Amino acid sequence: MRKNEGAVLAVVVATGISSVVTQLLTIREFLAQFQGNEFVIALILFNWLILGGLGALLSRVITKHSLFFFGHATMNRLAWLSLLLAALTPIQILAIRFFKDIFFIHGVSVGFYPTLAYSFGLITPYALLLGFLLPYSLFVLRNEMPDYPGVRLYITDNLGDVAGGMLFSFALVFLLSPLKAIFVSNLPLLFAAWRLFPVQKRLRPGVICGLGLTLILLAAGIYWERVSLTPMTGQLAYYNESRYGRITVHYDEEQFTLFVDGKPLFSNQNLIRAEESVHYPLAQLPSNTCLRRILLISAQGGMLTQLRKYHPEQVDYVELDPEIARIQFRYGLLKEIPGLNIIHQDGRAYLSQQAYDRSNRKRRYNAIIINLPEPQTFQMNRFFTDRFFQLAKRHLEPGGIVSFTMAGFDNYLAEAQRQKISSLYNTVSAYFKHILLLPGQDIVFLCRNQPLDADIPKLLKQKRIATEYIRHYYYGNLTTRRIDYLNGLIDPDTPVNRDQAPYLMRLMFSQWFAKFAASPVSFIAVLAVLLIFYLARISGEEFVLFTTGAMTMGSEILVIFAFQIFFGFIYFWIGIIVTLFLAGLLPGAWLGDRLKRQGQIVLVLTDILLILFLGIFIIAVQLGGGRLPSAAFLGFGFIMALCCGCQFPAALCLRGDDNPAASRVFSADLLGAALGALCVSVALLPYLGLVWTAVVLMGLKSVSLIAIGSKSWIK
Amino acid sequence: MDKINRRQFICCSAALLATPLSAQAFWPFSGKDAVASGATDIRGEIFKGDAPKTLWKWSHEGYHYGKLERKRVMCGICPNHCLLSPGDRSVCRSRVNLDGKLYSLAYGDPCSVNVDPVEKKPLYHFKPRAKVFSIAATGCNFRCLNCQNWEISQVRPEDVRHYDLFPPQVVAETQRTGSEAIAYTYSEAITFFEYMIDTARLARKQGIDNLLISNGYINRKPLLDLCEVLDGANINLKSFDDAIYRKLNGGRLEPVLNTFKTLHTQGVHFEMTNLLVPGYVDDEDMAKRMCQWILENLGPNYPLHFLRFFPKYKLNRLAPTPISTLARFRELAINEGIRYVYLGNLPMHEGNNTYCHNCKKLLIERQGYFIPVFNMIGNRCKFCKTVIPGVWRDEKKL
Repeated sequence: MRKNEGAVLAVVVATGISSVVTQLLTIREFLAQFQGNEFVIALILFNWLILGGLGALLSRVITKHSLFFFGHATMNRLAWLSLLLAALTPIQILAIRFFKDIFFIHGVSVGFYPTLAYSFGLITPYALLLGFLLPYSLFVLRNEMPDYPGVRLYITDNLGDVAGGMLFSFALVFLLSPLKAIFVSNLPLLFAAWRLFPVQKRLRPGVICGLGLTLILLAAGIYWERVSLTPMTGQLAYYNESRYGRITVHYDEEQFTLFVDGKPLFSNQNLIRAEESVHYPLAQLPSNTCLRRILLISAQGGMLTQLRKYHPEQVDYVELDPEIARIQFRYGLLKEIPGLNIIHQDGRAYLSQQAYDRSNRKRRYNAIIINLPEPQTFQMNRFFTDRFFQLAKRHLEPGGIVSFTMAGFDNYLAEAQRQKISSLYNTVSAYFKHILLLPGQDIVFLCRNQPLDADIPKLLKQKRIATEYIRHYYYGNLTTRRIDYLNGLIDPDTPVNRDQAPYLMRLMFSQWFAKFAASPVSFIAVLAVLLIFYLARISGEEFVLFTTGAMTMGSEILVIFAFQIFFGFIYFWIGIIVTLFLAGLLPGAWLGDRLKRQGQIVLVLTDILLILFLGIFIIAVQLGGGRLPSAAFLGFGFIMALCCGCQFPAALCLRGDDNPAASRVFSADLLGAALGALCVSVALLPYLGLVWTAVVLMGLKSVSLIAIGSKSWIK
Repeated sequence: MDKINRRQFICCSAALLATPLSAQAFWPFSGKDAVASGATDIRGEIFKGDAPKTLWKWSHEGYHYGKLERKRVMCGICPNHCLLSPGDRSVCRSRVNLDGKLYSLAYGDPCSVNVDPVEKKPLYHFKPRAKVFSIAATGCNFRCLNCQNWEISQVRPEDVRHYDLFPPQVVAETQRTGSEAIAYTYSEAITFFEYMIDTARLARKQGIDNLLISNGYINRKPLLDLCEVLDGANINLKSFDDAIYRKLNGGRLEPVLNTFKTLHTQGVHFEMTNLLVPGYVDDEDMAKRMCQWILENLGPNYPLHFLRFFPKYKLNRLAPTPISTLARFRELAINEGIRYVYLGNLPMHEGNNTYCHNCKKLLIERQGYFIPVFNMIGNRCKFCKTVIPGVWRDEKKL
């Protein structure tokens, strides 16, 4: 039996590897096909975890009633199901691409409910089967070893998850395209599944055919990869998956357009944006000012050519994704100019950590031009907060200028956008005496401590700088009436956007819903009803795991959020945080298994520890901020996961560790994580901020503590 | 043979039903046709029970509607022909049925007011350099996915900040700002028809021109009323394909073509714009058919503007139109016989200039909103004296 156990556990590890890689690629695929905002990320994760939880519940129902072909759990059937799981991975990724243009109009972005329905529908087969397989594997083992401990499988699964996470984050994402990564990450599963078949069946035609078919499907995915990304018009000139997202360049006639995650960012033929973003701020600097240094945080097509007209001594161009900078130069969107210094780093991290000259003095700039899209994610929001503007101001020469843009409007500033503009205006006004907003394709914010002049063509004429768009269109498009209209609509009472209370994100969500004339109310109502129904049916132990799942997932998002504020978006560190959140489960589960006889006490103690650690972490973040070492964030993640892992065996033991218990405990953890991911990302952080989000999570855990504590005390 | 049981029957049926769906998955490989993808009709629907309980200061009874049994009304302004029961709101969101009467809620409450150059509309054959007092109330009878004014076209009049400008005040403001014309623009002017026509009548008495900037989705009768006071129009011919109209704009092609015919027969100067949306409207065969229709039904004299598409609103995952595509379409239209073809949203391109259709010499050079070269005398070419179609400063005729 040991041999069989090894074969099943190998499948569980291989499934973990394959599933984590598939999950990460699925999220990336949705971001590339749909809106890349925090809502979409949370929705996909939510659907994935919910379906996983349902799959786990389903496993019990199906095996209990011997429904369908796999009703009775056997090694043979587990092998077939594992092959099916592997076969579904390329189908899922390709289906997300193909069906988008079937269900939706080509070229449109999609709102909340269609995204929810589409993602739910397309990941259902895979995520349900994945959730189903873990308890099913346990049932297979228990057919021959009825006392087989569920926790061992839980640990094995986590081992696979950690391996999958590390494999993807530190290797596959750098080396392979999505469908190649799918192919590679499923090879262990294919092999492990084949080994599950009894020796005498392994070479039977049916098995070979099944294995071959799965392999063909996985390989076919690689073939369809590039074809499936071919644009409807023009040609795909370039395609690459950087660690930050999908980068494609479409070539149509003589126009190159850079798409990042499916959205056209820059083209080599958009003179208007290039002129607006460069000349509006630089025109404000006195004619006799020698432009020593200019800082560009990201840049778009044509900007450097416009910048060259000012003959700056040095231009520091900071771009997070090296691939974006490289591609812009390669396809002529950007052209090298003298004094250009390209820095591949998070712009904020650069300013706070490295913008110092040789004598270790702050490097100061005549102008800091922030050329980033609107903050759709927490990562981007950090460039529009009070602390960031404070930081930018510190790096300005006297009389220097900071500029950034928000999406423009043609003839009417809608209320959500007005609030957004007002929030930014109020945020930046704490650091700059003069702020001027110029309407246009984008709303350009000019911030300076010396007076600003809205007559840009006049200023450019004085500097003898020639432009095409501004010179000929400015007076018609940016009339005094339009400029006054925009600047007069600022609401001084709108809250400022802070790092730890990202008010702007809330407004971005409102604007997103307004654009699609939707409201999340019905979704929340349905979710609340289902949640009440579920909570009414679960045991105390399941409730503990449910809240722990929510808290651990919530804490993970919280830690990444806080880490980015202080250290910037550093890919490797974020990867390590995520890995540690998975890795901590392993020793936790091992420890919990050792202590499972004191299950009730373990649950109470770990609940207390979870509350305590989160509290300490938040206080440390509040007091220490950027002075905290990055190890503190990693350590916190590991300890939280450890506590979570510890609870699983205890809860399982308390629930009897039989098959129904295993299914229900697995699903409670997943469903809790689903809720945690959704609530923390899109509701708690934007609406309550960092501290109160932690308080809510601690409150949630306190309820679980009271529930399990009182039960223990009564006993 | 064994009998099939219920479970097997359900499974087989599900598999059978799923087959065509899964076959669809491979459809994109068989053809690259953006037009065929996704939903095929996004036309709007009326909003049941969405009317306010009472009227507000900016309400006005509709001019073109029919009363039906059970206090229902049918709006007669546009081809949507909204059939409204009491309490309902029209597709355009501006018109409601209150107790058996149709009211416009967009009368005297423009949400956007600006003074623009006439070239911005775009109108290149209408009094160059003229300042135009431009107003818009909320509402639109279309649902364009790339609407650049969706903040006002896709909302209700009650949902926006607005000015208090009844027709006499609009005329007074126009005079105060030194504008020569009033443009009913930005959102969809047809949806605030009553406000527009009352203002236009007053403006006409004061010698102010009236310009309609519209999608042209209007019924003949109200259009004929409007033609009496119109001096110029720019009608957006979104494509020359009814399927694309339904898919990207939520409208139909035929009524728009009828609008062109009516304007033509009524002698109103108009210009046409055609936005070249990549993958949808940038089809040369379609452009040829469009030009042929124009020549057959309207003649070669009405200016045609091809506009460059930029990602906007919901249609924001497409690249902008390449410049050479625009240039090619301009060439195509000129070769087909349209005399005045321009390019829009494209700074500093020769496609912004006017050349005499007879002697081919440069008549008007446009550098944005500046006109450094103007080689016309009245409505004639300075060089060959050919009459140039349009409304020019000292004459008002084609």
